[in-house]
Amino acid sequence: MSTFAPQAAKRLRLSLPATTRQWTCRACAQQRAAFSSTSRSSEQQTTDRKSTRDEGTTHFGFSTVAESAKASRVGAVFSSVASSYDTMNDLMSLGIHRLWKDHFVRSLNPGIRPAFAPSGEPRGQKILDVAGGTGDIALRHLDHATNINRDSHTSVIISDINPDMLAEGQKRFKQSPYNRDGRVSFLEANAEDIHTIESNSIDLYTVAFGIRNFTHKDKALREAFRVLKPGGVFACLEFTPNLSNPVLNAIYKRWSFAAIPLIGQIVAADRDSYQYLVESIERFPTQREFMGMIKEAGFLIPGERGDGQEHVGWEDLSAGIAAIHKGVKPA
Amino acid sequence: MRNILRVPPTIRPLLLHASRAPYHSYEHVQPSPYREAEREILSAGLTHVPTHGFTHEALTTGAKDVGYLEVSTNLFPKGPFELVNYYLVTQRLGLKDRIQFPSEKMGVGARVRSLVLERLRANVDSGVQPRWQEALALMSLAENIPASLRELRDLSDEIWFLAGDTAVDSSWYTKRASLAGIYAATEVYQTTDQSADFRDTEEFLDRRLEGLRTVGSAMGNTMEWVGFQGGALVNLLRSKGVRI
Ligand SMILES: C[S@+](CC[C@H](N)C(=O)[O-])C[C@H]1O[C@@H](n2cnc3c(N)ncnc32)[C@H](O)[C@@H]1O
Ligand SMILES: C[S@@+](CC[C@H](N)C(=O)[O-])C[C@H]1O[C@@H](n2cnc3c(N)ncnc32)[C@H](O)[C@@H]1O
Repeated sequence: MSTFAPQAAKRLRLSLPATTRQWTCRACAQQRAAFSSTSRSSEQQTTDRKSTRDEGTTHFGFSTVAESAKASRVGAVFSSVASSYDTMNDLMSLGIHRLWKDHFVRSLNPGIRPAFAPSGEPRGQKILDVAGGTGDIALRHLDHATNINRDSHTSVIISDINPDMLAEGQKRFKQSPYNRDGRVSFLEANAEDIHTIESNSIDLYTVAFGIRNFTHKDKALREAFRVLKPGGVFACLEFTPNLSNPVLNAIYKRWSFAAIPLIGQIVAADRDSYQYLVESIERFPTQREFMGMIKEAGFLIPGERGDGQEHVGWEDLSAGIAAIHKGVKPA
Repeated sequence: MRNILRVPPTIRPLLLHASRAPYHSYEHVQPSPYREAEREILSAGLTHVPTHGFTHEALTTGAKDVGYLEVSTNLFPKGPFELVNYYLVTQRLGLKDRIQFPSEKMGVGARVRSLVLERLRANVDSGVQPRWQEALALMSLAENIPASLRELRDLSDEIWFLAGDTAVDSSWYTKRASLAGIYAATEVYQTTDQSADFRDTEEFLDRRLEGLRTVGSAMGNTMEWVGFQGGALVNLLRSKGVRI
């Protein structure tokens, strides 16, 4: 782990002159090429949608901005990075985000095994993946349900505030059997207000690397609680503001502040957007604070009971670069 | 002592009890450490252990019995081990209600024997005995060892307490550690016992307790004893395939 940052730096140095192709396969590149950014129109839309809200201030990375402006600036960030988004994620987490996502989905074990699906009951689960972007998590949900649990009924709604990200996801699913079987659908919505989704209708709500962008995280959590069935599960995968080890923490911070914006500039020619992403991580609540917020929204926290001897209430990944939080809606 | 130093640092204090004040509160109020939802799901899950074993199936079926969903088992990060731990905790807390000592004259040693037998009988009464090897396998997974040993220590403590042992002298640690070792060994024996009414288990226990009486009096040095018992425990776990 101590060689982590130097390696990354080496990787960075090596790759600077090269294009991003090094991290992308042909399919991805084609996907992306098919995308011309429509950021201007979406920015317009989100601004209009938000303009009636009362004016508080919130943070946009480290710069404080009027709340009504945050959603649109976040929208703009993701529009401007949508097409190179997966590449950026690879760079930012040094490729580990794929492993984290695999672990996240495996631990949730989506899908219902036939043995537990008595005839008469509606089959499969209804999963909502919020800030689902390019559908990375949704695809894993469906693969796990189908291949591991032999469940071909579970379906996922991919929801995102940004139409460009959703469009990228739609592209990805277009050719897949999941699309043919109607097991995936798309919803453009702000996570803080998903009123088009019925209360008590969702088995599993996931949000990966999305919640740090929400202006009112508490509102989003309340919405999650509302739409989940009793017994339903909220699960969040997110970067953490601090590593558990202070030395690694200092190293990683230097790496992320210095390198990531630079990578952003190279990958998407948009230094500001990446600066925002890095800073939004810094501003994210600590694991303990975030656990408190989930509890506040009414959820039971797995593993929170305990005797102080074990790590409880959340799961740290890779020395605490990212963490998984879960909550169960009481039945 | 060598053996115990090889035990991972996180486990050492559990074997040594070193920094711990006598655990037992003599007011004897021990609230269940589980929240209501957990209690409901886990106790429903336990009713499925005789058929499904200590498995994810038992846990899931239990959750569905009490109005939860398949996915709700995310409430239990340790999966089926939570069934084991819940069983251990509830049986430990329930032990005092399973036994009434008929006469004041019964000695502490005899009471300890009855309590151990009663606790082992609970494994039979609750229908988990035929499945107990699965529980032992889960307990011996590296990530579950600390919690399992802690529970074993607390059971030993409970038994001495219920037996009326109030001595707070230097033998305190010794007695608890030795009983923990004896209990664990006897419980392992019980999983393979084919005899009627678990007579063989009872005899096995008696031999171990006899050994404790004769060796114990000669063994002055507390730490040596704890080291010995710690080693016995480690060996026991090794025999279950744990690499420590
Ligand atoms: C089309 S896939 C992306 C699909 C994936 N589900 C996702 O998250 O987008 C691109 C990934 O394949 C990997 N990749 C690219 N070229 C590769 C190659 N020649 N051999 C193995 N992996 C490759 C890259 O690391 C990149 O992360
Ligand atoms: C870092 S990406 C994560 C995408 C995907 N979940 C993943 O893990 O690869 C963050 C996503 O959150 C979306 N987002 C930002 N603010 C949002 C909000 N208020 N409501 C819904 N989605 C939002 C962005 O459009 C973007 O697609």
